[in-house]
Amino acid sequence: MKRYFRELSVAAALVLLLLLLALFAPHFYELQPLLSRLTAQIPTLVLTLGIALVMLTRQIDISVGSQFGLCAVLAGLVSAGGHGLPVSLAAALGAGAFMGALNGCLVAWMRLPSIVVTLATMVTWAEVLRLFQQGKFVNLAPGVQWFGLSQLGGQLTLLGVGGALVALAAYLLKNTSGGRHVYAVGSDAEAARLSGINPSAVTFGVFVLMGTLAGLAAVLNLVQSPQVDPKCGTGLELKAIAAAVVGGVAVNGGRGSLWGALAGLLLLATINPALTFLHVEAYWEKAIQGLVILLAVIADGIRSRRNLN
Amino acid sequence: MASLSPSLKKNVLRHESLLLLVLLLEFAFLCLYARNFGTPDNLSNVVRHSAEIGLLALAMMPVILTGGIDLSVGSLMGLCAVLFGVLTHDYHLATLPAAAVTLAAGLFAGGFNAFLITALRLPPLIVTLGTYSLFRGLAEAITQGTKTYRAFDPAFLSLGETRWFGVPLQAWILTAAAASFYLLVHRSTFGRSFRAIGFSPEGARYAGLSVQSRTALPYLLTGLVAALAALLFTARLRQARADAGTGYELCAITAVVLGGTSIFGGVGTLPGTLAGIAAIAVLTNGIGRVPAVFKAGIGGELASLLTGALLLVALAGPELARVLSTRSAKISPSPKTL
Amino acid sequence: MKRSQFLASLLALPAAILLPGCEKTDPAAPASSGKKLTVAFMPKSKGNSYFIACEKGAREAAQELGVELLFDGPTNTDPAKQNEIVENWITLGVDVMAVACENREGISGALKKAQDKGIKVVTYDSDTTPDARAFFVNQATPQGIAEALMDEAARLCAEEGEFAIITATLTAANMNEWRKHIESRLAAKYPKMKLVDTKPCDDQKDKAQAEATNLMSAYPALKCIMAICSPAVPGAAEAIKQAGKTGAVKLTGLGLPSENRAYLKEGVTQSVILWRVADLGYLAIQAAVASGNATLKPGAKTFKAGRLGELEIEETSIILGKPFIFNKENVDQFDF
Repeated sequence: MKRYFRELSVAAALVLLLLLLALFAPHFYELQPLLSRLTAQIPTLVLTLGIALVMLTRQIDISVGSQFGLCAVLAGLVSAGGHGLPVSLAAALGAGAFMGALNGCLVAWMRLPSIVVTLATMVTWAEVLRLFQQGKFVNLAPGVQWFGLSQLGGQLTLLGVGGALVALAAYLLKNTSGGRHVYAVGSDAEAARLSGINPSAVTFGVFVLMGTLAGLAAVLNLVQSPQVDPKCGTGLELKAIAAAVVGGVAVNGGRGSLWGALAGLLLLATINPALTFLHVEAYWEKAIQGLVILLAVIADGIRSRRNLN
Repeated sequence: MASLSPSLKKNVLRHESLLLLVLLLEFAFLCLYARNFGTPDNLSNVVRHSAEIGLLALAMMPVILTGGIDLSVGSLMGLCAVLFGVLTHDYHLATLPAAAVTLAAGLFAGGFNAFLITALRLPPLIVTLGTYSLFRGLAEAITQGTKTYRAFDPAFLSLGETRWFGVPLQAWILTAAAASFYLLVHRSTFGRSFRAIGFSPEGARYAGLSVQSRTALPYLLTGLVAALAALLFTARLRQARADAGTGYELCAITAVVLGGTSIFGGVGTLPGTLAGIAAIAVLTNGIGRVPAVFKAGIGGELASLLTGALLLVALAGPELARVLSTRSAKISPSPKTL
Repeated sequence: MKRSQFLASLLALPAAILLPGCEKTDPAAPASSGKKLTVAFMPKSKGNSYFIACEKGAREAAQELGVELLFDGPTNTDPAKQNEIVENWITLGVDVMAVACENREGISGALKKAQDKGIKVVTYDSDTTPDARAFFVNQATPQGIAEALMDEAARLCAEEGEFAIITATLTAANMNEWRKHIESRLAAKYPKMKLVDTKPCDDQKDKAQAEATNLMSAYPALKCIMAICSPAVPGAAEAIKQAGKTGAVKLTGLGLPSENRAYLKEGVTQSVILWRVADLGYLAIQAAVASGNATLKPGAKTFKAGRLGELEIEETSIILGKPFIFNKENVDQFDF
């Protein structure tokens, strides 16, 4: 119970917000819009999983939004060029893995600070995309949307994929040696190294995985509409990082769970629609988001101080 | 290099010296190939346009030196600009008292960050990520996103164009700020402890330093400087709106890191930061003046790309040299972590 | 050692400024020779498909008139960027500039500075204050755009019921101008209609889709969505389609035909309002060059603009023509 305090308190805040909505804005629970809202968060969820892993190894990746945009446009162009969804998926995953590997190389083998490396790659990929695509939408081939299924079928598939990914990642992280290595490297890289783990390899792997997940997220976003907006990745890195942080993934590594990150994402993703449903003016949105992040870390700080005493 | 004495070699190879060389090369290149780059009018543009980011970078440097970070400075600029607008327009305060209140508010906001980071011992990255949203959000809430304040005192607005002895006011302010921060970081005992704290907070504590109270000062100063930057920005743009300073936090951090301050703290010099600011400002202004670049219409993108590349090269260079010189070492060290 | 280093860097900077004897003018630059005109052309933001279309027209005109064209603009959301680019163009030595102003009053100071240096200034797409430019190449006034939008929305929902607006960001100056005129038109002409909410979409299609989804279920009686930035129109259309409210919730807005063709044909989007964007860029350069050559002088009543023919000038505004309303029937005639 105490161990999952953070996850549970975020979940409690989410439940409270959902109850508030049930009382004052029951329209929130209409099935079809609710499904659309949930599926729209699946790409961010996938990114959040990746970011949580990166943060668990005590690194950060702020280039994920740019990676996402580049993968989305690439997959879109491949699809528009007449290739099927599997080819697009492969292209996006490949591009994502490549960009992740570049970050990983620089961080793990060149020992450069991840925040600076990914700041530089964030700018680089965003500018490359702007120069290359010039803001033009990519029109996808018909039959890409919803994987060629019906809308309901596509949305359920997306939810299934998202849920399965979280469950799989959480299981692997907890029950495999690779997963425990992630925690070990994040807690104390030197101790991990002395106990026979190769921290560089683990870090590199996590960044490659992050890039690959960005590619996957881009495809899971792409199938939700018939066009790709080249600006689709802008700001996603902050959303994913905020979700992980609110969900209790510690920025100084080694602590946190993917379920917490999921709860954090759901909480943050519910706040924005809740404002619309409770008729709060849009200009309060950023202030409230900031306040939630601060409250989450302050709660953490007070709790850990009490534990210290 | 063999003929150089070890200490000289060390200094020639220092990050700051190399950066200065890069800056000089950049300058020479732009003077030769960029159209009308070296004119006094244009050089004063370089300073005027980079003044706010430069100020933020100067204030950010001690923060990073202590091993912290402040992502909220750009948002705080937006909040301070709006506050200044509200005070002069809605409360009809004169420019000077309004500016004083704005600076005090900046200091207070910096104090809020400092309190959360030092008293509650929360990670600076996350605290300032929260205040990054909060400050911008408050600025938007106050103006309902839409309001723009424009009717400022003409004397205040002329500050954006003022020159003393032919040099823009911004250059004087930057120089004064740089000198003050130099004295603080390199010449005062209080400021010298920033490096010790950034190098090893535990060590600094054992050495008898009051780590928490000393860490608080740099955040207070970023708050104050963000408010000052907001005032300068308002005078230059002749308007105050909630979007002032958008994205400036990343520009400032880039300048500091390019200037050789380690993002993990403990290492860095203020002259290095100055050189970092200058390198970016010169590049941003000059690259779009090279005929091949402006004909292709890619000035803005190229400036960002080159800044990113410069940053990576600046960081990777020393590391590469180290890797090459210790190739035979058996143990590969662990990657650096946040 | 540290001190000497600091001193060295202090000394080196001014030395670097003075020593290389930076040339004041590039000998290859014809800027002041008066032979080939240098024309600078600025969009509100780069990487935006609307202004890419403008740029295409501008390059066409530049080629036709044999002038050197500079193209640059903000690549981020820094509100000071346009001013900085204008000031840099002044010191670069351009002869004429054509600017789409993000910020009506904010940029006027910089543009006046340009005029003081003898540079001719023309604005297009969105204006600055009239004293900071010679001509404004006008696709339609903010009031005209706002009224066209409001009238179209009113027509679509038979002049009664709730509607909502999706805008780019809450701080976007031109959109706030439109919103102001939309609201005054609403108050004056359509008493039975009600604006229930205005949401920003950060100029992103996916965010617009999310906002539209929320708006439709938070306001079940919503009859119309008005999307006033271009990515918001397809975003809102996808939301309406996914909610199964095609036809029940009407959609109109400002957008590019190419991004909306499919939705218009499916009947999700009823109409999109826009002008011939490439022609706007073309006309802007034509007018800029003409005022640079002094063939277009203040007080002129008409202006002959290359392939666009003779256009009318209202005071200092050169009018491109009225905005088009694209719909299912006519959308295929346009290729931008």
